[in-house]
Amino acid sequence: MDNRQDTKLVSGVFYQLSPKRESFQNQSRTWWIIFIIVVGGSLVLLAGLFLLAAQSISQIGIQVVLITFAIAICMMIILSIKDLKIEDGTLTTARGYALFIVMCVVAALILIPLSLVFLPLDSLTFWIATVGGGLTLSFTGLMIRDFYPELRERGTAGILTISGLLIVFAIVYMTFLAPFITPYLPFSINVGPVLDPPSSEYPLGTTALGQDLLSRVIAGGATMLQVAAISVAVCFTIGVPVGLLASFRGGLTDRVLSLVMDSIFAFPGLVLAIAIAAMLGPGAVNMAISIAVVYIPSYFRVVRSQVLTVRELPYVEAAVVMGARDRDIMFRYILPNVLPSAVVVMSINFADAVLTAAGLTFVGLGLPVDIADWGWDLTSGRNQMIVGAWWVSSFPGLMVVILALGFTLAGDGLNEILTPKLQE
Amino acid sequence: MTDLLRIENLVVEYATRRGTARALDKASIILEENKTLGLAGESGCGKSTLGRAIMRLVPYPGKIIEGEIFLNLDQPVSVKTEDIPMGEVNLMNLDEDQMRALRGRMIAYIFQDPMTSLNPMLTIGDHFIQIMQAHDPEIEDEAALDRAKEILDGLGILPERVTDYPHQFSGGMRQRVMIGLGLALRPRLLISDEPTTSLDVIVEAQILEQMAELKDKFNLTMILITHNLGVLAQTADDIAIIYAGRIMEHASTDALFGNPQHPYTKALLEAVPDVSKPEKKLTWIPGAPPDLMDFIPGCMYNPRCPHAMDICRTTVPTLIKSKSGGKVACWLYEEE
Repeated sequence: MDNRQDTKLVSGVFYQLSPKRESFQNQSRTWWIIFIIVVGGSLVLLAGLFLLAAQSISQIGIQVVLITFAIAICMMIILSIKDLKIEDGTLTTARGYALFIVMCVVAALILIPLSLVFLPLDSLTFWIATVGGGLTLSFTGLMIRDFYPELRERGTAGILTISGLLIVFAIVYMTFLAPFITPYLPFSINVGPVLDPPSSEYPLGTTALGQDLLSRVIAGGATMLQVAAISVAVCFTIGVPVGLLASFRGGLTDRVLSLVMDSIFAFPGLVLAIAIAAMLGPGAVNMAISIAVVYIPSYFRVVRSQVLTVRELPYVEAAVVMGARDRDIMFRYILPNVLPSAVVVMSINFADAVLTAAGLTFVGLGLPVDIADWGWDLTSGRNQMIVGAWWVSSFPGLMVVILALGFTLAGDGLNEILTPKLQE
Repeated sequence: MTDLLRIENLVVEYATRRGTARALDKASIILEENKTLGLAGESGCGKSTLGRAIMRLVPYPGKIIEGEIFLNLDQPVSVKTEDIPMGEVNLMNLDEDQMRALRGRMIAYIFQDPMTSLNPMLTIGDHFIQIMQAHDPEIEDEAALDRAKEILDGLGILPERVTDYPHQFSGGMRQRVMIGLGLALRPRLLISDEPTTSLDVIVEAQILEQMAELKDKFNLTMILITHNLGVLAQTADDIAIIYAGRIMEHASTDALFGNPQHPYTKALLEAVPDVSKPEKKLTWIPGAPPDLMDFIPGCMYNPRCPHAMDICRTTVPTLIKSKSGGKVACWLYEEE
């Protein structure tokens, strides 16, 4: 028993993978090819990360990357210990989580003053980068650790979800670390010759203003991710509960809410977004809000119609008869059965948010020019296509495609995983 | 023996676009503790409505117009707003919160269709946790799960299967899970609304047997709603025959099968096939049940009754003591 625990703790994150000699020998050729691709790809990515960090303009790229890895490993070990304790029965689930949060707070209280003393840096950027990057890494590790058994059972859906989430997490991690790993400052102009094709000094070439495109591609995801994440979060937190409430209550509430939502729905999306963005002014958050307003009615409509069918089903009635509370019926019986449809809308919403954000930037309601943004480079780079500078719009465009692909894969896979019936 | 449930003059009406349908007309029932009452009748006669009315959950657009439902509680039930005292309680006087506390805790209800009565998104264990936490917010997940495993084990389902989803179970197993859910809080009264209708005969027999065992084990009182008289003959102590919203006859099972009083009961029994008497000619009851919207004066059964008299077409008969020891609502037995 003790021995088993030790090996689990030592191998930490990957204890559930627990590779055995015979399991390696019995794998098919396909398995080996996939294995080599995955491991090799990860190694290439890591090597690239360290190479970038070593040559970064901030001089402390390597240190930042190592700190994020340290944070991630600490988190994983703490969580592994917590899981082991719960498994043993020494801790209940609720207490385990409470203890974890307390430990995080204590760690933060110790670390923050220490670093403020020892690091004479622009500390906010530093903190956002290290903590954000560390958390993203530990989420990735946790996901691999906790989903791996599920992935094997769920087959394609699990692989889709994991690869989608991995793409998204990788881009999020890159964006968090961007200030410390870019070879040049992404917004400073004339760092090199104007419209230089990809070369060893500027691996992805330069833009029409002489900015380094590689730095801009690394840093440019921030706006896109913010806009997509905030708009989807706002849509989801407003559209889904309001739809649920309207159809659950029925009557006058339903009529009024449906009327409001329909009147928003009646406007063409981009026009409404432009109007709202013009009212609120430029900026990532305002852009996100204007996109959110356009998308709330689609969530509302989908959720409302689904709830109307689900709430008549016998299991809801059975719950009422067993004395379930209204909020349990809403959130445990109706909502989970409605969520898969909302998740589908969400994956469309993500992709559309990215496009609308690019559109808003194009009409000048998005962002100031000096902020690195894929959407901006993509739209401005179109003009340089004519003179043969294909790289300016190609690389940001590729990143948008990869991000959208990640969201779509994750959305599709999650939809299947959330529905237990689709398992087999 | 104390009376667990006493229903007096219960009237339930459905307000539809075509008019008001009286689904239950002055139904009165007394149910002793530890007995099984069978409710039998044709489709649409008000059996299920009676069951639902006891929970005060008549489906929309139904409404309980008048009547009293008394339930005898063996322990006080604590509610957020106002606790329900021990002893006989009139359910019609309770507010919605108090009623919710009784549902599942004191009265359990099992539905006809086990295939759709479980939430496809929750595991079986989550169902148990939900129900137990709805009545006792203090109870921890682990404790609820242990209880669930114990109950499932008693019903012949492997305890490990609490982590499975409903679609991984067969129909009979789901019905057993439903029964387990109903009994999770040790209720006093179990209302089962055609619990075995969608199951095959072998599973049906198993489930009925298990329900009988559980009845002894948990000290349950049961109401069994069915149109299958064979099931009732096996399981029920008393049977009430309902026709068009009125109780026609209410007698012990032996008396009802051995010496049926009401012409409708007699006709119903004639229509049941009997394996031991292959020569028996099955009969049917001519005509159809009356339209509940369009009220017939007098006894509801009079247009189909071979013994109909003048008084049957004008005045409603009341439930009176019959020769077989039960009660019957028929002018044939009224002395005056």
